[in-house]
Amino acid sequence: MARETPRTLNLAARYLLGALVVGIATCTAWLSFGHNHQRDVVMTFLLGVVLASMRLGYGPSLFVAVGSVAAYDYYFVEPYYRLTVTDPWDLITLVIMLFVALVISGLTARVRKEAAVAQSAKIQVEAEQLRNSLLSSVSHDLRTPLAVVQGAATALLDGWDDLPGARRREFLETISDETLRLNRIVRNLLDMTALDANALRVKKELQPVEEVIGVALGRLEELLRDHPIETDVPHDLPLVALDATLIDQVLVNLVENAAKYSPAGSSIQVSAHRAAGGVEVKVADRGTGLTPGDEERIFEKFYRANRTQPGMGLGLTICRGIVRAHGGTIRAEARPGGGALVRFTLPADPHAGKGPVGLPEEADVG
Amino acid sequence: MTDPALADSASAAGPSAAPLILVVDDEPPIQRLLAAVLVDNGFRTVQANSGKKAFTFASTYSPALILLDLGLPDLDGVEITRRLRQWYLPPIVVISARGRETDKIEALDAGANDYLTKPFAVGELLARLRVWLRQPPDCGGDSASALEVGDLRVDLSRRLVFVEQREVHLTLTEYKLFVTLMRNAGRVVTHRQLLEEAWGPAYSNETQYLRVYMARLRQKLEKNSVRPQYLLNEPGVGYRLRAP
Repeated sequence: MARETPRTLNLAARYLLGALVVGIATCTAWLSFGHNHQRDVVMTFLLGVVLASMRLGYGPSLFVAVGSVAAYDYYFVEPYYRLTVTDPWDLITLVIMLFVALVISGLTARVRKEAAVAQSAKIQVEAEQLRNSLLSSVSHDLRTPLAVVQGAATALLDGWDDLPGARRREFLETISDETLRLNRIVRNLLDMTALDANALRVKKELQPVEEVIGVALGRLEELLRDHPIETDVPHDLPLVALDATLIDQVLVNLVENAAKYSPAGSSIQVSAHRAAGGVEVKVADRGTGLTPGDEERIFEKFYRANRTQPGMGLGLTICRGIVRAHGGTIRAEARPGGGALVRFTLPADPHAGKGPVGLPEEADVG
Repeated sequence: MTDPALADSASAAGPSAAPLILVVDDEPPIQRLLAAVLVDNGFRTVQANSGKKAFTFASTYSPALILLDLGLPDLDGVEITRRLRQWYLPPIVVISARGRETDKIEALDAGANDYLTKPFAVGELLARLRVWLRQPPDCGGDSASALEVGDLRVDLSRRLVFVEQREVHLTLTEYKLFVTLMRNAGRVVTHRQLLEEAWGPAYSNETQYLRVYMARLRQKLEKNSVRPQYLLNEPGVGYRLRAP
């Protein structure tokens, strides 16, 4: 973090720190050596110059260099307490000191600059690698459903008259399912890009979790043909401030994962309950579960627990990003009896809990 | 037909009694698909690939409904809606991408009647068209003494609500919300419309009241309020009572 100081502090503050360095060097030299050990005094000032040029950037370090020479002249060179020199030897000392101080500042600044260039080159290489692995995984993931769609569509075109009706229907369902999958992939990609660029805009509104769960499950109806859904969402949960579009995305990703990693016919449980400070939502399946040690890693970008399944390893990363943007936490665990359980929390709005204010209780009509 | 405008539009086919739909979209594959689907389902279509043509064709052909993609290259979709609404009265259904909820609300505020989120199923498109080409809700709807949608029924004169013949007791606010949704079955009703209907204009921004009352309605009317069959939430926009 200390390396960040010159960039995070503004220029005025850095000059101020430079003046402080000169002051400290002067005091230290004065208290330690007085007027006796001139060489040690000069060294003390030069040490200040080195430290300043390492931390404060070029301009302030030049300022420290010149300031140190002036302070040395003022306090330690006869006549004392004047910025004048009488002995020519003292003048030579001052000039050499100024020269050394300037060289140190210049050299240190150059080393710092080169280090910064090397650092940014390294970051660029890493970003490039990340981009490449993203591209290859994205293109693979987009191509797979595209290939399936293309295959099914051409099969229908070429063999329409010969295909039995049930087979036609099967191909068409495949096309429909795969395009929905493509759509989810594209949505995840967009969200990941936004998360990476810190451009995810969270528009929170106070609302029941039940509504968001309902929308997500409604959207996944096709995907859930083979997985009965069991829901448990009590009616008395507090309202939660959330961005419905984003939390919908979290739920869609979690339920899609649950469906992907569990055998057809096995049920998926979606539940919510009151938790400390808010609401906890759980998505549980009876699928392949989690390898011990994977609980954290599955949330890492591109990490995929099961390489035989298609996927980019972005879904859970996005979930974590979105949940964190809401001030909540998300974690995964193996479920007793088999399967995986992912739970995430959404903090209740601190100003909420009063329910709809100003609306009186009413009697029934009719 | 020698009208030069028709050269731009892909098809104005179909029997002349069939309702004419103006499709405004700049993507040829989507135009082609929509034209095929609409003609096969008994509509006639005229197609425009820009906002400017949308204005011309809307005035030339007086379509029964305009299907408008919000992402056109030449003009902002919300602006097109606003300008069309100055003189064009029949329904406008906008098409927008998911995650652009603000666009949808702005388009609805500008005078659009409903929306579809891309990508959509053909069934959903046809359902929207049918529900908006029926009698508009204001004409004749008020004089009916009962409303019925699927298993839901309201007896308006006696203010009674039934689910599968079983009477359900609603509070006055719940009843107002429910009747508004029933009158607009199949159509999106925005948060603001519902709030003004149930509480009056002063409450038009208190979405959170509405959400609480809608949750109670779901609990009273739905078998499973987490997976509602009728009272659908349209995230960020409003609610829609699903018409079978």
